[in-house]
Amino acid sequence: MTAEHEQLPCGVELEPLVIQVADDQPPVDLAHQNSCPYCQSALRSLRQGWADVQALTREPVPIPPRLTAQIMARVRTLARDVADSILLGHPRGETRISHTVVGQVIQRVASSVPGVVFASAKPIPHDPPEPGRLSVTIRLVVAFGPAIDTLTHAVRHVIDRRIPRLTGAELSRIDITIEDITELPD
Amino acid sequence: MILQVDDRILLQAAQDGDPDAFEALVRRHQAAVYRVALRMLGSEADAQDATQESFVRAWRGLERFRRESAVSTWLYRIVTRRCLDAIAARRPTEALHQIELDAGVDCADTAEQSERLRAVTRAIAGLPGEQRAALVLREFEGLSYDQLADVLNTSVPAVKGRIHRARLAVLKQTTAWR
Repeated sequence: MTAEHEQLPCGVELEPLVIQVADDQPPVDLAHQNSCPYCQSALRSLRQGWADVQALTREPVPIPPRLTAQIMARVRTLARDVADSILLGHPRGETRISHTVVGQVIQRVASSVPGVVFASAKPIPHDPPEPGRLSVTIRLVVAFGPAIDTLTHAVRHVIDRRIPRLTGAELSRIDITIEDITELPD
Repeated sequence: MILQVDDRILLQAAQDGDPDAFEALVRRHQAAVYRVALRMLGSEADAQDATQESFVRAWRGLERFRRESAVSTWLYRIVTRRCLDAIAARRPTEALHQIELDAGVDCADTAEQSERLRAVTRAIAGLPGEQRAALVLREFEGLSYDQLADVLNTSVPAVKGRIHRARLAVLKQTTAWR
């Protein structure tokens, strides 16, 4: 007989009693259960044991304080390792900026526009590559309220103005997708 | 404000190579991933390693994720697999020695209750890996049987069988039901 088919002395299998307690199900045979000392004793024990399991599930589990930083240090290293880079020409040597970095600068600049809730930028190299020039696709989540056309115009404007100054890269094309619109909390 | 951004949007951005979007997913889901790892492995250090490794695997596997399931389900699948690998790699003799009985037993009201919760922790730690995974995901994370079957890559009846055997083993070890 396997463990899950164990029986009480009255012949009732343990499995339905465990399901009754753990899943809060009605008894299979209420009349028998009400009059059977074996079932009642087993149910008392199972309920106490299950209450302990449930108490453990309610115990808070504090997150280690540096967990996010540790995870992201490894992820950012991996991201840097595979990212393309943009080449900026200079008479005394070349400068390369990872697309990840360019993307992060663009998304920070885009996020500074009022009404932008979330921005993510993906630099797209030209084919064939052109030194110092990129295109970019930007995904935005915006707040409900401001006119979307006005908002995307403001995003393009601020990116056009600030990105060449911050990175040295010229953006020949800025494609924007509005992924979602959301209500801001009061 | 990023709290209001849907998982699928963060995921798409992460798939485009945006580590900030991935960090938002990490912050959102790390508590659940760490909880599962702690309850499956019984050690805070091991759980921390498993959580880190799970998110690194998730980052590496972003391209392959087809968004047929929720991000949370995908992460549960990764951390469960990582924990099962860790359990399988432990030598039988060290398996129970690695359990920190106080891991996640911080707020019990009395010494007696603390001892009972430690007994439950010990009983869970003694379960075979797949039963442990099913029990933890069901009882601690509240996954449905369908979600469990998806995470554990098995059928609903198989999941129910594992959960029943796990519950029975824990209850038999922690109570005098006879």
